[in-house]
Amino acid sequence: MNEPVAGKCITGERPADWLSADFAGLYDEHCRAIFYLSLRYLGDPQKAQDATHDVFLKAFRRLDQFRGEASVRTWLYRIAINHCQNLCQSWQNRNIHSNADDAVWENSAAPTDSPLRVLETKELGQRIQQTLDALSEEYRLLLLLVADEELSYEEIAVLVGQSADAVRGKLHRARKVFAAHFEKTA
Amino acid sequence: MKQQVKLSQKHEHAVEQQSQQRTAREFKNSDELLRFEAAQISVPPEIVQRLQKSTAHDGPTASRPWWKNLFGG
Repeated sequence: MNEPVAGKCITGERPADWLSADFAGLYDEHCRAIFYLSLRYLGDPQKAQDATHDVFLKAFRRLDQFRGEASVRTWLYRIAINHCQNLCQSWQNRNIHSNADDAVWENSAAPTDSPLRVLETKELGQRIQQTLDALSEEYRLLLLLVADEELSYEEIAVLVGQSADAVRGKLHRARKVFAAHFEKTA
Repeated sequence: MKQQVKLSQKHEHAVEQQSQQRTAREFKNSDELLRFEAAQISVPPEIVQRLQKSTAHDGPTASRPWWKNLFGG
């Protein structure tokens, strides 16, 4: 039997022994999106790994509950967001996490229309994480979701429980806050 | 000798500049930046190995109704 490899469909003589080939295909298609959301939302590679595992395990166990009203990706995001928010909530309850005051940065004179410049891409992850950590959870989530080109504003709106117009407005401000913080990480 | 040192320093500076130019990138906004990073990220293979163990007792038939919904099979 072939070794299971992330990012590849699992094939072999008896794939049903652990995951159906179809579920492996689902994992293959969406694992990067879910892992990236978890990584940057939680800010910890190990926790992101745990969260991605838990999300797909929940999905596997709830497959019969999926009614096809949303896309598979949206459904997986829904599970992932709930999971990550629950984790953050439990950390907040233990006073581990704090959010920045976005309003201060929304009113800053940061040049949001200018491009974000990066000299060393190897430090990019660190800078992005520092920037996202400085944002409120709401802005962080919106920016991570809109970065996925497969999601429409309407789907994002459903995921965050707001109207599409509200999402557009908040995204405009979130991008501005992100740009202002990102400049400071250089 | 001094000239050689100066030339060497100039060369190092030029190499450093070239290196920076090679890795310098510009992103229109945060969407583009995050999209770029997401595409570079490697998903740890440990996740799929853990999933294999976690689902071992669930049985493969759990996915059947869902996939019937999706593909009409």
